[in-house]
Amino acid sequence: MSYRFRKFLKSKRKYTNAVQNAGPAEELYTSLDSNLSKIKQRTGNSSDIVIREMTTAQENKQIGVIFVEGIVDNRTIHDFLLESLMDDPAIETEGTERDVLETIAEKIVPLGEVTRVNNWKELYESLMSGLTIILVDGVMQGLSASTKGGERRSIQEPPTEISIRGPREGFTESLRTNTSLVRRRIKNPNLWVESLQLGEKTKTDVEIMYIEGIASEKNLNELRERLENINMDGILETGYIEELIEDQPSSPFPTIHFTERPDAVAGNLLEGRIAIFVDGTPFVLHVPSIFIQFFQSVDDYYSRAYIASSLRFMRIMVFLISLYAPATYVAATTFHQEMIPTQLLVVLSAQREAVPFPAVIEAFLMEITFEILREAGIRMPQAVGQTVSIVGALVIGQAAVQAGIVSPAMVIIVAITAIASFTTPSYSMAIAARLIRFGLMIVAASFGFYGLILSFIVIIAHLCSLRSFGIPYMAPLAPFIPADFGDSVIRLPRWGDKERPRLFTTKNEREGSGQKPTPPETRNIKKQQMKKGDLNDD
Amino acid sequence: MEKAKITPGQLFILIFLFELGSALLIPLGLSAKKDAWLAILLGMGGGLCLFLIYQALYNYYPDILPTTYMQEITGKVLGKLLAFLYLIYFLYIAARVLRDFGEMLVTFAYDETPLFIINALLLFCIVYTVHKGIEVLARTGELLFVLLYFLAVIGFVLVVVSGLIELNNLQPVLEEGIGPVIKTVVTETWYIPFGEVVVFTMIFPYLNRPKHVKAAGLTGIALSGLNIVITMVVNISVLSYELVSRSQFPLLNTIQAIEVAEFLERLDVFFMIALITGGFFKIGLYFYAALIGTADLFKVNGLSRLIYPLGLVVLFSSMTIASSYSEHIQEGIRFVPLYMHLPFQVIIPALLLLIAVVKNRKKQRL
Repeated sequence: MSYRFRKFLKSKRKYTNAVQNAGPAEELYTSLDSNLSKIKQRTGNSSDIVIREMTTAQENKQIGVIFVEGIVDNRTIHDFLLESLMDDPAIETEGTERDVLETIAEKIVPLGEVTRVNNWKELYESLMSGLTIILVDGVMQGLSASTKGGERRSIQEPPTEISIRGPREGFTESLRTNTSLVRRRIKNPNLWVESLQLGEKTKTDVEIMYIEGIASEKNLNELRERLENINMDGILETGYIEELIEDQPSSPFPTIHFTERPDAVAGNLLEGRIAIFVDGTPFVLHVPSIFIQFFQSVDDYYSRAYIASSLRFMRIMVFLISLYAPATYVAATTFHQEMIPTQLLVVLSAQREAVPFPAVIEAFLMEITFEILREAGIRMPQAVGQTVSIVGALVIGQAAVQAGIVSPAMVIIVAITAIASFTTPSYSMAIAARLIRFGLMIVAASFGFYGLILSFIVIIAHLCSLRSFGIPYMAPLAPFIPADFGDSVIRLPRWGDKERPRLFTTKNEREGSGQKPTPPETRNIKKQQMKKGDLNDD
Repeated sequence: MEKAKITPGQLFILIFLFELGSALLIPLGLSAKKDAWLAILLGMGGGLCLFLIYQALYNYYPDILPTTYMQEITGKVLGKLLAFLYLIYFLYIAARVLRDFGEMLVTFAYDETPLFIINALLLFCIVYTVHKGIEVLARTGELLFVLLYFLAVIGFVLVVVSGLIELNNLQPVLEEGIGPVIKTVVTETWYIPFGEVVVFTMIFPYLNRPKHVKAAGLTGIALSGLNIVITMVVNISVLSYELVSRSQFPLLNTIQAIEVAEFLERLDVFFMIALITGGFFKIGLYFYAALIGTADLFKVNGLSRLIYPLGLVVLFSSMTIASSYSEHIQEGIRFVPLYMHLPFQVIIPALLLLIAVVKNRKKQRL
């Protein structure tokens, strides 16, 4: 009994896909009526499923057209499908019954993609993804016509990744639009897209995109394997996939980078990474990711190399500030007053005299207040947002100080920390710092700088132990890879960084030689007979 | 052995951090008085020679740990005994250094925190990192090396800018002849920190390019030696010999003397970073060597099973090896160099090399 039960479970798990979603892979019925009633029954008479029955003028052939309202393009269905089916004079002019569908597909329906539907599973899958099904009475097969459409958000500037210089396009919720945005940037037949459906219930379209010949086969296979292992009822956003395929699920640091910008994806593909698109979200993952990538913004690649390099360096320093500023203040004021310059110490202790709390409580109070404000700011309706932020600013600033609950220095520290955490281009990295900061404050309050330095070493060791698809997370810094260093903390000018990162690919050549621009040799100044003062005439 | 590979560059950095670990901070070679820097320099020469011995041994057995090749050189029983003694040695020194650093922190900043807590915290971080393996330890080293060197350069520049350096304090050189210097080298600076490189014999087999061991090791020792020499020169020239000899942490006093623009002063945190980072790697490497040695000798699969018990051994022995700090220091000066460092760093490796050379000659003849 138990054996049979286990066996049953096993088989159940194996076939859940087919059983639960699309019905068994059974053949369609011959009669149109029974087909239609079966569909009605299977979909629970849902009101958005439209079933249109019609009869052709000449042969009195019964035809059923089924589609889901809202995810199809009404115009296409009306103009090209219904009209041509109704108008057509002769469907069955010649040949046997089986060719009816062929005639419809070849001669009557003027749509891009018309394919045959052989069984119920295929029928439901096509129907639910926005295709229109055409069934003919007396035929055991059907046709599906591509009529995908419906209302979607248009392409807008990505709100989370704004750049000063660079394209203003961002991804939308439509998978096809997203891939097209990338394809428009890389016009190359080697840009390959593989698609699969994930989620037993949601049947979410997921596509991986890479440049054949640049992306490493090893990473590709690894990714395919990890994606195929996903067995969930639903995939609603890239976050689901990220959590299921990352190397180190227990780390607070993100090991998979995501972006909303097609130019960022194109750049990453050119470096040999692989992009993962998920239908229904404007965010695109790319793997493998390294730590330093979370501090690079697309602007870096469009602005001058010196500026980009110093900005990147600054971002990392600021990231450290956002991690350590309150903790350092707590440690210095509770344990190491002797390390504060005397005059500053006098100022600080004068401020802290009236404050009833130890520094760590003070820091916690302010940090938590700020986190509340921030979290509220995201949830608040925009109409009241402004009011609340003014109140919040008053609470966090002036009032708290005047009431003698916190010292002005603490307010400065918290403000710097708060602003610092917004400089990290990647939200997921910034949010990790937000979390760790509180732990660090506790460490600082109990062990002072000793604890902070040890925590720094442990954080570094932890980061060094992470991997993203087998690539060391801290590369190219540790392990140090000189060839890849040109695009890490610093960015070398285009002409100085001739190779693709070795981490992701073995095909490294990416530009021809002699890309460094040089001015023309002479502007004929030397050759001319010049008199004194000729050059600064005007 | 775990499945891991490190690069010669990483070996270089590990050696550098390891050497600097304690030598940078403690009053080193001061029995040579003003010529301490010379004693360190000569000790470095001795250390380079020792390294060549270790490296020659490694060349005979590039793929196996010393705990295994000792058995091949001297036979199963004696080799196992020797290997076991080495494990005890590594564990003991790890515990000693841990005690050193704990005591330093207690005297320097945390006079009310129990020593045990300080030690436990440091060891916990070490166990965490070592648990991740030698690769992670090496990579962590790469990042911290940059930080440490950056701080060192800033510190040096600030000392110079503050106008503290009195080179007169170093004169006269060789006031009492070369005798005391040689004596200091033989009893002190040869072993600490340079002879301690013996611990890297346990790391060599992880190298991905064995040919570069020699270059990486020699430059690592030389660079760290020069840095220690410079530090000692700066210490003595800033503080004068008398002050240095009375100070527990000369480098700390030197750093505290810095005062630039009435703001850049009291940079004790530089010292703390150097202290903790150095201690971390020194204890970490000793601990790691003991760990893989134990796993290798007793055929234990997987380091994670050994790491917590051995960590506890180190932690508790760091508390119990001496009842007071002065006892600890006395042991360190009288007992450890003569009965531990000398045999384990010099005599045994030299004898092993001798036997290995003879054995391999025989093999070649046959």
